[in-house]
Amino acid sequence: MKISFTRRFLLGTLVAAGLASGVARPASAEQSATAFVHSLGDRLVTIVNSNLSGAQKKEKVLPILQSDVDVDAIGRFCLGRYWRTATPEQQAEYLNLFRQVLVNTITDKLGDYRGVSFTIGGATPKGEDQSVDTILHRPQQADANLEWIVSTSSGSPKVVDVLAEGASLRLTQRQDYASFIQQHGGQVSAILSALKLQVERHKTAKPG
Amino acid sequence: MFVLLAGLAVPERADGVTERLTGMGSVKEDLHLEPFSSASGRSVKTRIRAFRNGTLMLGTLVLAGCSSWVAPKPTDPDALAEYKEANDKYEPLNRKMYNLSVTVDKYSMRPVAKAYVWAVPVPVRKSLGNMVQTMNEPVVFFNDVGAGKPRRAGDAFVRWCINMVAGVGGFIDVAKYAGYPHHDNDGGLTLATWGIASGPYLFLPMMGPSTIRDGIGYGLDQGLSPWNYVPRGYGLLTFNWAYNIMGVINTRANHLDDLDQVQRDALDPYATIRSAYQQQRKAMADAIKNDHRATVPDWYN
Repeated sequence: MKISFTRRFLLGTLVAAGLASGVARPASAEQSATAFVHSLGDRLVTIVNSNLSGAQKKEKVLPILQSDVDVDAIGRFCLGRYWRTATPEQQAEYLNLFRQVLVNTITDKLGDYRGVSFTIGGATPKGEDQSVDTILHRPQQADANLEWIVSTSSGSPKVVDVLAEGASLRLTQRQDYASFIQQHGGQVSAILSALKLQVERHKTAKPG
Repeated sequence: MFVLLAGLAVPERADGVTERLTGMGSVKEDLHLEPFSSASGRSVKTRIRAFRNGTLMLGTLVLAGCSSWVAPKPTDPDALAEYKEANDKYEPLNRKMYNLSVTVDKYSMRPVAKAYVWAVPVPVRKSLGNMVQTMNEPVVFFNDVGAGKPRRAGDAFVRWCINMVAGVGGFIDVAKYAGYPHHDNDGGLTLATWGIASGPYLFLPMMGPSTIRDGIGYGLDQGLSPWNYVPRGYGLLTFNWAYNIMGVINTRANHLDDLDQVQRDALDPYATIRSAYQQQRKAMADAIKNDHRATVPDWYN
């Protein structure tokens, strides 16, 4: 009798605790994810709209990317199934190259977004992550719908993906890489040399 | 430009040039067939449509039959998952079509679009873009009805009325400021809301990324466009040519930067476009499915 009571009590408490945390957690997670995207967006927009030169803007954006974007997680995701077949040296080299390519791609675009502003919508849970809706307003161009996927698995909130008009950038990138590797005999070394070439080309195209 | 304006004075006709993220812009079959169809009236038009549908059917049969255009199905489970994710059964054929389209585009549409952007000031380009969009509004309307979304259909209908009158034949998007922003819809998306799967991915030469379902939807849209049922005349013919050419150039110009970037940054641009296209189409279909707004507009409540 007593045992069953205890068990029932325990079970009840567990369920209640689970429910309580289930109800309470998403609300706070949503709020923190929204606040995080808000602050990240504000900082980026301030830099983009400032009168600084391209190189100066790049310099200012770099620390933000390092602290608020989980580049390594995105890199691992993009390599997909080939991450497992790569040797540890290849993995390290890949992540290093991926970081440079990603930074180049983002900073190259900074100039195109002059005069940009954004409105932030709500956050919805997406698996273990939070998805925050934003609408990007660009001068002379149609508004763009951007969804930021924020993960807290590394301890602090970090961007792990951006969905532009419904297309996930990391998923698109993964399918790009997968197709490229597949066309080159499934060799991870092929993508390493291709990325190396991209980084080199970027350096020669824009010195400094 | 002048041809276009002259054509507008007459009760006009235009085909809905569906603006999609095609990349290549959409070249209309009508462009080549127009002189013949207008010469001998509607029966030719019907025949042309039948011919077009026939071509589509034949194309599907040929696709199903020719094995050298079909990518071999991998046996490795990881590779199989990748194969299924790409949804590209006809990859060898699609890649040929893609390469052909990119080469042709490089020497035809891309320079034209670049010249257009260089020569025509932004406000004019924007007005022409609005016009192309408004002329396609009836197709959006019928598809909204087909998808069973009365609120969206109402939006498209009101947009059409406002823009054709207050927007001077669609040149100014007045409806946007009146609280009716543009939304996209087309036959492929309507079929998607009916639960019809996309079918394998297709890259149509000079028309860009598509799927079996979206290709059929494109054919349906031609039938839904009221411009195909207006009696013909010289003014109409002039407008139609100008409008179609305008639509193609406008669409291509809208994607100049995106496509240049894909060509520059992607390791396999073909796979990047394939992935982005399919994701975006899915997101668009989901957005329509999940639109549960009340039928009456906000001010009514």
